[in-house]
Amino acid sequence: MSVSFAPECTDAKTKYDDCFNKWYTEKFLKGKSLENECTEFWDSYITCVNSALAKQSVNPMLEKAREDQPFTSEEIRASAGTSKK
Amino acid sequence: MVLFFESSHEFQHDFQTSTLAFFNRYPNPFAKHVLSSDTIEQYIDEDGCLRVTKVIVKSGRLPNFIKPFLGTSVNSWIIEKSITNPKTNTLMSYTANVDHRKFIKVEEYLTYYTADHNEDITLLDAKVKFSSNLFGFKQKIEQWSHRRFSSNLHNTREGLKYVMNRLQQTGGIWQVDETVTSLN
Repeated sequence: MSVSFAPECTDAKTKYDDCFNKWYTEKFLKGKSLENECTEFWDSYITCVNSALAKQSVNPMLEKAREDQPFTSEEIRASAGTSKK
Repeated sequence: MVLFFESSHEFQHDFQTSTLAFFNRYPNPFAKHVLSSDTIEQYIDEDGCLRVTKVIVKSGRLPNFIKPFLGTSVNSWIIEKSITNPKTNTLMSYTANVDHRKFIKVEEYLTYYTADHNEDITLLDAKVKFSSNLFGFKQKIEQWSHRRFSSNLHNTREGLKYVMNRLQQTGGIWQVDETVTSLN
């Protein structure tokens, strides 16, 4: 598992990623859960990351990049049509 | 100036293993330039699709000839947005550089989906778009982007296959494995 860009967040990240990976394969993909059940780990991880990001000079550019809207609803529908379960 | 490259690939793994590998593809021996990866947003949208935004930091990923414009910065920050549809077994992802966009923008679009004829095969369609408005560097950018596309593609596939094979050994489920962490 990869580390966090902020060393102080890696522990929280590992706990969240472990929870996410289990939830993703055992519940989400199987249609058993429509909410991420890792909020307990997520909250401490994202708090750590956000406070570390705020100190980075790249942060304004990152905020800008987060506005990228790469997928149109047409593309999302079209891609869904390429695969049938 | 805008350049497009496209390719397709077939992985001998099901959608679960392939996409779990996608989400956990770093670190791997084919991506030693990747320093870190963080999730900065995750939610389930109104269609029941999982939306994830990640930030990845890589070392020295821009062409040497534009370095004089960049000052002292050495690492590249990458944003990755993905949408996973569990009903159709489709994962779409977009990655793009965050910094240096006024010189060059590299955007990669990936779609992973289950093969119609075989649930144990996952197909990957890749499209990369290079955009630059650096006048006078057209040929250098074309050469660089072509080389970058070819070598990136190879390393991305090999890295994914490496992670997929590891996951396959555990039946496509997640197990905490210290040896993966220590590779970094």
